[in-house]
Amino acid sequence: MCRCNCWLAGLLLAFSGLLSAAPQSVVVMTSYPEEVMTRVEDGFAQAHPEYRVQVLWRQGFDALPYLLQARQGGVDVYWAPSPGNFTRLAKAGSWQPLGISLEGLPAQIGGLALRDQKNLYQATELAGYGFAINTASLAELGVPTPKDWPDLLDARLRGRVALPDPGRVGFAPVLLDIVLRAYGWERGWALWSELAGQARLVTRGGTLVSDEVTSGRAAVGLSIDFFVASAKANGEPVDFVYPAHGGLNPAFIAITASTQAPAGARAFARYVLSDAGQALLADADIRKLPVRPSVYAQLPAQYHDPFVAAGHGAYDYGNGSSRERLALISSLFTQWLGLPHEALNELWTRLHAAEAAGHDVAAIRQLLTAPPLTAGQAEAKPLLGLFAARQDKGMAHEPATDQDALGRTEITWQFQAALQRAEAARLLEGLGQ
Amino acid sequence: MTVVRIAGLSIGLLVSALASADVTHTAVNREAYAQPFAGLDEGQLERFFRGRSLFRQAWVVAPSRDEAVDGLGPLYNRVSCIACHPKNGRGQAPQQGEAMRSLLLRLSVPGRDAHGGPKPHPVYGDQLNDQGVPGVPGEGRAHVYWQEHAVPLGDGETVMLRTPRVELRELAYGPLDGVLTSARVGSPVFGLGLLEAIEASTLQAMAAEAKPDGVTGRVNQVWSVERQRAEAGRFGLKANQPDLRQQIAHAMLGDLGITSTLAPEQNCTPAQQACAQAPHGGEPELDAMQLGDLHFYLAHLAVPARRQQAEPAVVQGKKLFAAIGCTACHRPELVTGTHPLYPALSQQRIAPYTDLLLHDMGEGLADGREDFLANGREWRTPALWGLGLGERINPGSGYLHDGRARTLEEAIVWHGGEAQVARQRYVTLGAKERAAIRAFLESL
Repeated sequence: MCRCNCWLAGLLLAFSGLLSAAPQSVVVMTSYPEEVMTRVEDGFAQAHPEYRVQVLWRQGFDALPYLLQARQGGVDVYWAPSPGNFTRLAKAGSWQPLGISLEGLPAQIGGLALRDQKNLYQATELAGYGFAINTASLAELGVPTPKDWPDLLDARLRGRVALPDPGRVGFAPVLLDIVLRAYGWERGWALWSELAGQARLVTRGGTLVSDEVTSGRAAVGLSIDFFVASAKANGEPVDFVYPAHGGLNPAFIAITASTQAPAGARAFARYVLSDAGQALLADADIRKLPVRPSVYAQLPAQYHDPFVAAGHGAYDYGNGSSRERLALISSLFTQWLGLPHEALNELWTRLHAAEAAGHDVAAIRQLLTAPPLTAGQAEAKPLLGLFAARQDKGMAHEPATDQDALGRTEITWQFQAALQRAEAARLLEGLGQ
Repeated sequence: MTVVRIAGLSIGLLVSALASADVTHTAVNREAYAQPFAGLDEGQLERFFRGRSLFRQAWVVAPSRDEAVDGLGPLYNRVSCIACHPKNGRGQAPQQGEAMRSLLLRLSVPGRDAHGGPKPHPVYGDQLNDQGVPGVPGEGRAHVYWQEHAVPLGDGETVMLRTPRVELRELAYGPLDGVLTSARVGSPVFGLGLLEAIEASTLQAMAAEAKPDGVTGRVNQVWSVERQRAEAGRFGLKANQPDLRQQIAHAMLGDLGITSTLAPEQNCTPAQQACAQAPHGGEPELDAMQLGDLHFYLAHLAVPARRQQAEPAVVQGKKLFAAIGCTACHRPELVTGTHPLYPALSQQRIAPYTDLLLHDMGEGLADGREDFLANGREWRTPALWGLGLGERINPGSGYLHDGRARTLEEAIVWHGGEAQVARQRYVTLGAKERAAIRAFLESL
């Protein structure tokens, strides 16, 4: 039993450290969650006790203006899964060359570049898109494990697919884009309309899709892999399927042009890309995909190796779409499929019933699956310019308003979609549905 | 004795009227501290998830486009709640010589504030914030050094206990003259709504009971900001907060520098001018709905159900736990009263293994720092429910207020003061009996 006056000892120590030398600060801006930053900070502190990481946390849309301000707000390193920001900031002259060895780090995976041509920024890890599945729920429904996107249209999955709303969940616009690039504009949107018409829209990101699947409320959920892989590694009854037409989202790291701590910034970037830093990504609470292929040999069995999958053509999607394009397709989903989701769901239910009854529903399908915007119109620079000019507020969207040109365009899409739904309803009524 | 009988009678009468909400769950994985009550409807689940998002949210330095979650600091410890309560469990004590992470250091000077609480240090305030937003220096760093000593057990075995020695470095605002310090790690956050629903009269009745072995126990009386009066304390390691909302608001301000209606002033002292001049994220930064969502989330985190209850060692350990006197404070059963907001918490028979009372825990655990009625040797009995999953969920996080105990045995041996007799009985048991008690604790 300790009988010493321990608290007094603590009190007396209060005076001890006034003159201690402090490690040099390295300011890292990131949007990574606590689990990632804690482990990386700890690992870096052990490897480099002469430096100390100070985290400045900002989501991608919020980081961009911060890094464009004078002296880049004192940030030394930007590290985030927001590839568009790195491109835009490179154009603005915000980065200096990384200046570290990139040996052992491929420049490309499938259609995706893992660094820019001037070595201003480098991918540090990847996240894959695909399907969270509840194996028990699928077995109950008699539905085989989905292998690719069209498998999600299985009628037995009606009401049991969790679909993150692209208007409200940050990672979801890329999901839309993967399908549109893989199957083309018309066929891709047809898939999204039908899937939205029988799925549950999930309006919050993070682990919520995984929660839906784990709980059994959904049998399948569209997700980014690490939420699901982490839940699985923590013991939850959920699995993840990387579809045949997959996609990857890279996180990049860059050193600011105005850093006052270039050596510390390079040490941090070097650590994140080292074997030790890359191996941290397999932590049960992180579960991201390393960009250093040699690290996969030491990861747990069954760990997805995107470099192997890319060899089979799984990652032809290059994730090269601009912010404007992603904003456009996300808005199109919202105006056409998201806002009238309840009505859409009812129409697809009736259409499937008519189809099951042997009716010819080709015309009705056409009405429900044709987007109110053609592929060509979606490429028009004036329209993309309107999306470029809209201030990015992340997932905090205002309703479309006729007070601005873009709002008027969005309202037009809503109106055209409503006309098509009304006609589809009329035709279904004619079939007795 | 009369009081014992009355308390027992009250429980007996209530049992027949207890509500049936399922406040426990059977998950045993690493998400076992993060499960909602069964039976929440869609609207309640939505609110639960909103609260969860806030609990996991990394807060942002103001000004920001992310207006709902900006206002971090100006002085702070970590950027999110989950940082100090990883996976809703216990924070991690630093390793030898490491700086604080999920450990925080309370500060005060001798005396009391206007409501009888600790008197903050005039320059550093009531908590050492090691981080500052850009332009605002963090206050300093607390490094922990552990000193070990051996304690013999009755059968000749020894247990090594470690005592923390806190060293302050890089003090940015001058010396910390005459300061009292108390190091703490984050506590588990599930089951808190049920503890909130225990009536103050139940606490008073337990305090008034005659208990064996020199155990007493008393209710802390603390200041309610919302109701502007002294009330029974029940949250915090010294029961210095009257309810969960105030506990949340106090932690948001102290740990993250986030203001709320219950803690509207930024955590800057008059001597910290850069702090006072730093941009803020609104007044308050955590709005009423967000505070309500956090409260709902924490109030509806279910408790892991007991496991392996029929195993012989567990059965024996449960009997021994009571026989050596542990249940005088670690109460195996309480009944909740009527929760003012959430019916699912009301009239529930629960097994938290706490009495929420202050007890003298002896000189070895004393921090020498008063907190309302709690003196420097008193701590609130911590709940033990869910304890057995701790090593799986937060491996190596340790036990007791500052994480000094690396094992359950160390934690037991650290007990002193009112628990000295029970502790002495434990150390004189044979290895098999001691293991049985630990098996019981691991079944919780």
